[in-house]
Amino acid sequence: MENQTIWHRLLMIDRRILYLILFINIIIFLLIPVKVRTVTSPPVRKFYDTIEQLKPGDLVMVSSNWSAGTIGENLPQLEAVIRHLMRKKVRFTVISIEPQARDISYRFVSRFTREGGYEYGKDWAHFGFIPSLVVGIKGMVKDLPATIKQDVRGTPIAQLPVMQGVKTLADYKMVIDITPSGTVPAWIAYRPKNLIVLFCPTSVMAAEAYTFLDSGQVAGMLTGAIGAQEYEQLLQREGLGTTFGNAISFSHALIIFFIILGNVALFMSRRAQGG
Amino acid sequence: MWQIETGTTAGKIYVTLIVLAFLALFMGLIPVMQVLPPRGRRALIALVTFFAGLVFAAEFFLPVNKEGENLLSPAIEPAQNTLQIIGAMALALGTYGLIRLHLRNIVQQRSQWGYSVVLIVAFLTMGFFSVWNTLAEKGELPKTTVLERGFGLLFDNMLVPLESAMFSLIAFYIFSAAYRAFRIRSIEASILMFTAMVVMIGIVSLGNIISYQWLGLPLEQTAEMEKNPFSLRNIGYNLALPRIAYWILQALNAPVQRAIEFGVGIAGLAMAIRLWLSLERGIT
Repeated sequence: MENQTIWHRLLMIDRRILYLILFINIIIFLLIPVKVRTVTSPPVRKFYDTIEQLKPGDLVMVSSNWSAGTIGENLPQLEAVIRHLMRKKVRFTVISIEPQARDISYRFVSRFTREGGYEYGKDWAHFGFIPSLVVGIKGMVKDLPATIKQDVRGTPIAQLPVMQGVKTLADYKMVIDITPSGTVPAWIAYRPKNLIVLFCPTSVMAAEAYTFLDSGQVAGMLTGAIGAQEYEQLLQREGLGTTFGNAISFSHALIIFFIILGNVALFMSRRAQGG
Repeated sequence: MWQIETGTTAGKIYVTLIVLAFLALFMGLIPVMQVLPPRGRRALIALVTFFAGLVFAAEFFLPVNKEGENLLSPAIEPAQNTLQIIGAMALALGTYGLIRLHLRNIVQQRSQWGYSVVLIVAFLTMGFFSVWNTLAEKGELPKTTVLERGFGLLFDNMLVPLESAMFSLIAFYIFSAAYRAFRIRSIEASILMFTAMVVMIGIVSLGNIISYQWLGLPLEQTAEMEKNPFSLRNIGYNLALPRIAYWILQALNAPVQRAIEFGVGIAGLAMAIRLWLSLERGIT
């Protein structure tokens, strides 16, 4: 044991020390506001430009299918998207595919709309959750009020002012899917052809979506909290995306530093052993 | 034929009769299954599976009219609704099994039965406040301070932080795993590591700082740069870390993902046919 070099000790480092270093790094960059200018990536720019083309009064469907596990990535996206929609004065409805996603999206969107002066029923509504996305989309394409029936407050959706004149999903301009799951292919496959699809996946899900971006089936994409950070800079408003994005950015740097350090340690310890 | 008008009395009676007939059929199947020898039982399951799958396959392959529908098209929606009902039954069955197991743990005071008490109490409390909150949102029950505080405490201050904390642990495992696994041991491992590092740094703001602030690479491509693609400035523009990361994701990752998705699709089709025809070893 006494003959162990520092490189060998680095290779055998206790994982709890690594956890502690990452924890401190995240806490520091969550608490300290660091001004980092980001460059907008093409998928985020397309996302922003697509929403910018909306006119006041247009109708948008927000499909919010995330639960607490991915709050760090999906909440900044939801916040940025809702604030942009309110800025554009468009009407929107929210739908989820599972009970917890329904509760979370309803509570957060209620808070954002209250701050933005949006009135429930008139400017926006929440459709609750549908157990099967494919069945739900197919139903909404045929007859939306008959498929959804009631909003979260138990009001028949045909009676909501925000839904006046809306018969099917074809009356919507776009759908924005905020999700950690593979739900976007269902929207692409079963939507009416005029409905634009925008996508907000978590970072791990984004790689799969580049095929849809490439084909134009997805018009724009926000990749996790980093996508939300870029989006907030386009909106010229700092929110959760900026805070979380900085913590993620410096955590990536830390991971890369340790990967390089691990390789240097491996090389040096082999050299010390004459290998 | 497949969709019954339930608004009329005749429709309601018709639906009730259908539900009762199906209940009788399924209840009747239980003694039949018990009487049948294992081979006959398997044959019956295979037959039911085949006919259930046939509805979806036939609907897809049968010729359609101008509206894009055939004889079976209206049956698909009720069939999919039935699938949801079966899913709901599975949820109820799972809940029943969970509660039964933990109640048995408590009654028999098995090892670590205290955790079972916590589970039952948490399940009942959350269930009670969730149902109350849903009914209050619909205006069927009053929205009291007890409800707002209770549901807020359980949902906003317990469930959400606990679940997000559980999920965030992955980041720490990934950090530890990346430190130990990303080693230059072969050419393939080196390519993988280098690509991962470029994407990791290129997609976050540090990639911008390194490329545009430290190295001073051009941020925008001018018309002159487009005309001279081999000019130093244009090469520098294309070598910025965010551009390389985006190129990897778009030009390398997307075609590979597409190939994987095609493979998964074909394998899924083969698997579906095997399940439909009960060729899977678990069934036959």
